[in-house]
Amino acid sequence: MPLRVLLLSLTALVLSACATPPAKRERSWPYPEQPGGKPAPTVPQRPSLPSEPVPGVPSPLPPQVPEMVPQEPIVVTPPPPSAPRSAEAVSGQAVTALVRQARSQRAAGQPQQAQALLERALRIEPRNYFVWSAMAQAYLDQKNYDQAESVATKSNSLARGNVYAELENWKTIRAARAARGDAVGAQLAQDRVAALQAAVSGAAP
Amino acid sequence: MAPRKLKAFILSSLLLILSVGLVAFSAYLLTLDKRVRDLFAGSRWQLPAQVYAAPAELYPGLNLEKEPLRHELARLGYREAAELQGPGTYAAGKAGLQVQTRAFDFWDGPQPSLQLGIQWGEDGNVSQVYDLEAGAPRDIVRLDPMLIGSIYPKQGEDRVLVKLSEVPELMSKGLLAVEDQGFRHHFGVSPKGILRASIANMRAGRVVQGGSTLTQQLVKNFFFGSEQTWQRKINEAFMAVLLEVHYSKDEILEGYLNEVHLGQDGNRAVHGFGLGAHFYFNKPLGELQPHEVALLVGLVKGPSYYNPRRNPKRALERRNLVLDVFREEGLITEPEYEAAVKLPLGLAGGRSGVERYPAFVELVKRQLELQYRKEDLVSEGLRIFTTLEPRAQESLERRISAAMPQLEKNRKMKEDTLEAAGVVTSVDGGEVLALVGGRDTRYAGFNRALDSRRSIGSLAKPFVYLTALMHPDRFNVYSILPDEPITLERAGSKPWSPMNYDRQLHGPQPLVNALAQSYNLPTVYLGLQFGAKAMRDTLVAAGYSGDAAPVPSMFLGAVEISPLEVAQMYGTLAASGYQAALSSIRQVQTLDRKPLSQSQIKLKQTLPEGPVYLLNWSLQAVLTQGTARSAYSVLPGDRAFAGKTGTTDDYRDSWFAGFGADRVAVIWVGRDDNKPTGLSGANGALPIWTQVMKDLNARGLDPVPPPDVEEQLVDPASGLKADEGCPGARSVPYIRGYAPEQFAPCANAAQSAPMQWLRDIFE
Repeated sequence: MPLRVLLLSLTALVLSACATPPAKRERSWPYPEQPGGKPAPTVPQRPSLPSEPVPGVPSPLPPQVPEMVPQEPIVVTPPPPSAPRSAEAVSGQAVTALVRQARSQRAAGQPQQAQALLERALRIEPRNYFVWSAMAQAYLDQKNYDQAESVATKSNSLARGNVYAELENWKTIRAARAARGDAVGAQLAQDRVAALQAAVSGAAP
Repeated sequence: MAPRKLKAFILSSLLLILSVGLVAFSAYLLTLDKRVRDLFAGSRWQLPAQVYAAPAELYPGLNLEKEPLRHELARLGYREAAELQGPGTYAAGKAGLQVQTRAFDFWDGPQPSLQLGIQWGEDGNVSQVYDLEAGAPRDIVRLDPMLIGSIYPKQGEDRVLVKLSEVPELMSKGLLAVEDQGFRHHFGVSPKGILRASIANMRAGRVVQGGSTLTQQLVKNFFFGSEQTWQRKINEAFMAVLLEVHYSKDEILEGYLNEVHLGQDGNRAVHGFGLGAHFYFNKPLGELQPHEVALLVGLVKGPSYYNPRRNPKRALERRNLVLDVFREEGLITEPEYEAAVKLPLGLAGGRSGVERYPAFVELVKRQLELQYRKEDLVSEGLRIFTTLEPRAQESLERRISAAMPQLEKNRKMKEDTLEAAGVVTSVDGGEVLALVGGRDTRYAGFNRALDSRRSIGSLAKPFVYLTALMHPDRFNVYSILPDEPITLERAGSKPWSPMNYDRQLHGPQPLVNALAQSYNLPTVYLGLQFGAKAMRDTLVAAGYSGDAAPVPSMFLGAVEISPLEVAQMYGTLAASGYQAALSSIRQVQTLDRKPLSQSQIKLKQTLPEGPVYLLNWSLQAVLTQGTARSAYSVLPGDRAFAGKTGTTDDYRDSWFAGFGADRVAVIWVGRDDNKPTGLSGANGALPIWTQVMKDLNARGLDPVPPPDVEEQLVDPASGLKADEGCPGARSVPYIRGYAPEQFAPCANAAQSAPMQWLRDIFE
């Protein structure tokens, strides 16, 4: 009896070593822009992953409709205390000065002036995601909702997980979608904002 | 007839003839009057559109050394002096530079003239920009932008209009002293002047003096180019008088200063002292020195006869004669005169004209027409702020011009048979920084950067590979592709049997290598997995706007695209799939400094980030180990660049398209008659590309992958997971969740448990 068990275990062990990897899921991205000029659906957004990816958790498949329904609640781990919170923390002197001026212009109800200043800043530091984030807000102020969302999305991609920047960006995306009448999209953005807000509140001061 | 009756008859006939004559004469005068007023008003009230390059920004941390900055200042016409002498001057100290900037009304507000002290740090970057008057450092300052064109919207002519108040006194008074001393007193025609001139001419035995007034000359300029018949001369005399009736002396003088013909720039006439100052001395009127003013005033008499570029000796003599008149009239002092006559002509630029960039301005004009309404563009005094970076434009022009004769010599081609085009853009903002439409960059000819439609050849391949990489369940960067003969049946023509360039087969290839070496057969194989339509969709998503039919020959680049559009497509790759529509215009302002509309970066994510990252990673291999290997003999080895060589059938087109983190550049070399040149992408376009990217100090690619990409250690031979046990293991990117999980045979962890147990027994 024990020998049979041993043989079975051994076989199981050997077989497991020879096991082929699980069949790969079919995955491809639908183009955001349909060729032929039809209006672009938004790029399927992956649910906000935790800052460190949870190993072994597969990403949900992009659904047929452009907007994704997250399969699990969005969990965002709080950012580390060293995470930069605003433009000043990541920008050089010149860009910091321009960003500050842009902020005052925006506060004074002059989004066009703010935009001009931020464009200058972007020529100096083209990958500064806080500047892109502020630019998205300036577009929002000017009611350019498509560009507000595109630029906020770009800022997110450059932010590489900076929760503070993502929070601002998702707020912008939420406002842009709401203004365009995209209630479903706005709600999804709101879910993100809520998750990011929770993470920020949970962060070390 | 009775004598009294005869007398009465003769008298009344005479009166009748006189009245008729008077009426006819009045009618004649009235038509002349209307004509001259129309001409005068027409030239006065049409303000051209000023086209500016992007302004240079000065700030701590700017990566620009002292010499290149001096070059920028020189290009703007700034004058070097021992110390600052007003706007438009600079002084070089031991370590730093002092500059007095010109005041300028930028689109977001005016910046006054500033006195700055600029210093450099050990790293070669600007360390401080100090405001000398305020006594404090500045965060950021802009230099006035370079004027690259003045376009009359309706006529397309160039002007730089000046107000009389903007003209230096020496110039207006000096002009009158030389050309028309009695200007303030005569009534349009000066009998005294004519008499004086006639006497002088008779004395000299030839024509030494003209008797026409400034007003007459102004009228003559309106008819510039027409024959000077007696009829015309008489008309002009009357018109001069009529002009004086309607307009003040100052208005006429101002009109003259803006109208007078001063030279020829190719097939464009140079009118007015404002443009003349730029054309001959590359600076604004207000900054001219006495000897320069004298030259321009002297040119009025005969711009081609005294052309300082063609007849420098004659021009110098004339200038010194004018300086003499200035001195006699007390407009300059004796020591000033002595100093001025000794000076050389001082012309700016070695070429026959002011630096202009016609190919780039052509793009600006086209984009203006697309983006703005016609009625807005026709309005006057527009200020167009463009994206042109003069430094980048200069580098592109210089490298292309130098390469053409060199390549022709290497290939033993006849001179002037090779042509080229180039585009440089910024990655994230989609700004066109430089554009060259042909090897002769001075004159607008066929703009190859915008209008040539040549096959892109292997430049198309990355889009085939990208299509595949967008299916991570089927392909990753180490997927093995066959390198075997393929034959495709085509309806209505011979079967298509593509071959590799070296006519060889290389065995199964990892995907990244097939791309790096630009093998044709693996590419066609890969393309066939998804079909030409899928590949075309990828091209369109990147920015292709043409209508080529989706057929398999598209995999090898049988599709015609302009260099600018290629830059758009590769720009989308460089920006991680975020397409920024290429634009040459930043802002357009109306005469009263209001924005015509806000030009905005048009951004759209058209390709997914993860697969684009994998493609860009593979395109780096093109330069590190593939067909563009030679690039790193010029470019710094610690910077990562990505790109693709492009060579078409029979070597008719030589392309290179590539990018770093902040710059995209596309170069094309070929013949207009489409004959073979024998140049591949690597030995034609690539060397130009690498020199330009080096000149621009382009930043290398950032190695941080996006969130949906994970890196894994992999054994290149098998494409499977590796660990320390595998020699030559590389860190390779995969779409998250699709990295190989099976260990390669060489990996330590691959030894299965029973085998390891057995081995342990025997070791």
